[in-house]
Amino acid sequence: MMRRLGLGLCLALGGIAAAQAQSSMVFTSWGGTTQQAQQKDWADPFTKTTGIKVLQDGPTDYGKFKAMVESGNVSWDVVDVEGDFAQAAAKAGLLAPIDLPAADAAQLDPRFNSPDAVGSFYYSFVIAYNKSKFKGDAPKTMADLFDTAKFPGKRCFYKWSFAGVLEAALLADGVKPDQLYPLDLDRAFKKLDSIKSDIVWWSTGAQSQQQLASGQCPISLMWNGRVQALQDSGVPVAMSWDDNLTTGDMLVIPKGAPHLAAAQKFIAYATSAKAQAAFATDTGYAPVNKGAAALMGPKALAALPGAHAASHVDLNMAYWAAHRDDIANRWYAWQTK
Amino acid sequence: MADQISLSRAAPAASREARRRRARGFAPAAPVLAFLLLCFALPVLALLLRSILEPHPGLQNYAALLATGTYANVLENTFLISFIVTAITAVVGLPLAWFITVAPRRLGRLVFGIVILSMWTNLLARTYAWMVLLQDTGPINNFLIWTGLIKNPLPLYGSLAGVVIGMVYIMLPFMVISLRGPLAALDPAMFQAASLCGAARLQSFTRIFLPLLLPGLGAGGLIIFVMSLGYYITPSLLGGAQDMMLAELIAQQVQTLLNWGLAGAASFVLLVVTLALYAVQARYLAPHGRKGH
Repeated sequence: MMRRLGLGLCLALGGIAAAQAQSSMVFTSWGGTTQQAQQKDWADPFTKTTGIKVLQDGPTDYGKFKAMVESGNVSWDVVDVEGDFAQAAAKAGLLAPIDLPAADAAQLDPRFNSPDAVGSFYYSFVIAYNKSKFKGDAPKTMADLFDTAKFPGKRCFYKWSFAGVLEAALLADGVKPDQLYPLDLDRAFKKLDSIKSDIVWWSTGAQSQQQLASGQCPISLMWNGRVQALQDSGVPVAMSWDDNLTTGDMLVIPKGAPHLAAAQKFIAYATSAKAQAAFATDTGYAPVNKGAAALMGPKALAALPGAHAASHVDLNMAYWAAHRDDIANRWYAWQTK
Repeated sequence: MADQISLSRAAPAASREARRRRARGFAPAAPVLAFLLLCFALPVLALLLRSILEPHPGLQNYAALLATGTYANVLENTFLISFIVTAITAVVGLPLAWFITVAPRRLGRLVFGIVILSMWTNLLARTYAWMVLLQDTGPINNFLIWTGLIKNPLPLYGSLAGVVIGMVYIMLPFMVISLRGPLAALDPAMFQAASLCGAARLQSFTRIFLPLLLPGLGAGGLIIFVMSLGYYITPSLLGGAQDMMLAELIAQQVQTLLNWGLAGAASFVLLVVTLALYAVQARYLAPHGRKGH
């Protein structure tokens, strides 16, 4: 019995080891329509040209990330993370430096290029609404988002402590976009208190889509790509780009990643103009490569946050990385109150 | 009872022999015990260590957990929700299990099959289904509005009600299964005897039926309560942020805040409470004949 158990265990471990042979690597992202596009537009063509297999894993989990690096038992090679985590993780020494050829690095949007993390794509939190719930006037501004008298109904907001909702509350309360940081947390929470009973939280992109499509939330603050995906499938939803809150996802390599060379190659491919253009066309998330726009059609370009650059409000990831824990503690305390 | 007396009178030599025989009986369980030690006991110990060592040695994580309003709220939610879910499954599960036992055999089996079948579907899929059903614009609220019973949708989604409905649905089979054995073992002659002796229906329910079912109710209730304490997906998807339970707090501390210390403390509190409940159940609610074994 014992021997058979040992044998089984050995077989299982052997199987895992075989799957981690050098001709493969693991890419971890957030799942859903976004990761599907990352597989189709980045991983599949990358495998075709290099022969390196890309295994998909997910969703991204920062706790797991940290535990892997600390224990030295890393199974992820490239991970799609949020901007504040990328900066905080770099500071905590959890990341391996990214080694892009200088010519490739010069092609990247400087907002999303650092020694330890490069942009995956960038996106905006936009005000999305279900058209069937608003026959006349449609919500347009952040003030409308918080005005339940003018636009009755539940509001769906991102559940986790992250840039977006607090900034929206401050903008709705009259703070000028260039005076957002440092965030006036007291004022932001006070504004949020005014509609607290009407807030429903979404924790995944798929959930935000379901809530908006079903009408559970006639109005939602959500990722532009997810609204776009609903529109593409014929659901009567629309978005307002007024004060769209912009930030990027980043690609990082955990320190101790088992297939470092493959990971570097993958990042170089994923951030290339061609791969970025294909992904942006499929998702409505903007490319971080300055050469990508030239490869995209006018219709796809018009759907990107970049087409609404005049009303961008950049979310300050350096500020968030520095205050991540303090804000999170306060955020969750407020949520559960 | 007779069993216990004979045991206590046994000579020391005989009991040593019995103990040895029992120990030999454990040998086939050795691989499982080794597995539990390696994959359960050691990680729990590691987590416990982190809870008293991170970020620096001391009990600050436990202090934070019990003294901070937020975490105290979450602890309270966890026990409240688990209690409500256990109580409702008992109240709903008992008549259901009774019906399955006394119904014509085929019908009973069919109903039991339906109860069990729900367990075969993926938990996440079932929870998502409830999410759709319970929303303001979902079929339940739409139907109630259509019948004119309510004007505005009931807050079933993103609320305590949603969490309880979703969890009761998932836990119900455990109660039915736990009650089936004791119910099938009930001797109808006992109730005849009770009524012959002049017991009213209510009396025979409270003095014969319930006491005989108590071990089953206790076992089912314990399983459900303990499982509920650690529930994550259902409260997270069907509840509001105010209904957060301990498992979600642990996930949040680990995933977002990378605070293993506090997460470890929360896990340990949960483990201690669970073990304490198990001890209570083993002491007071275990089937009588088995005591001492």
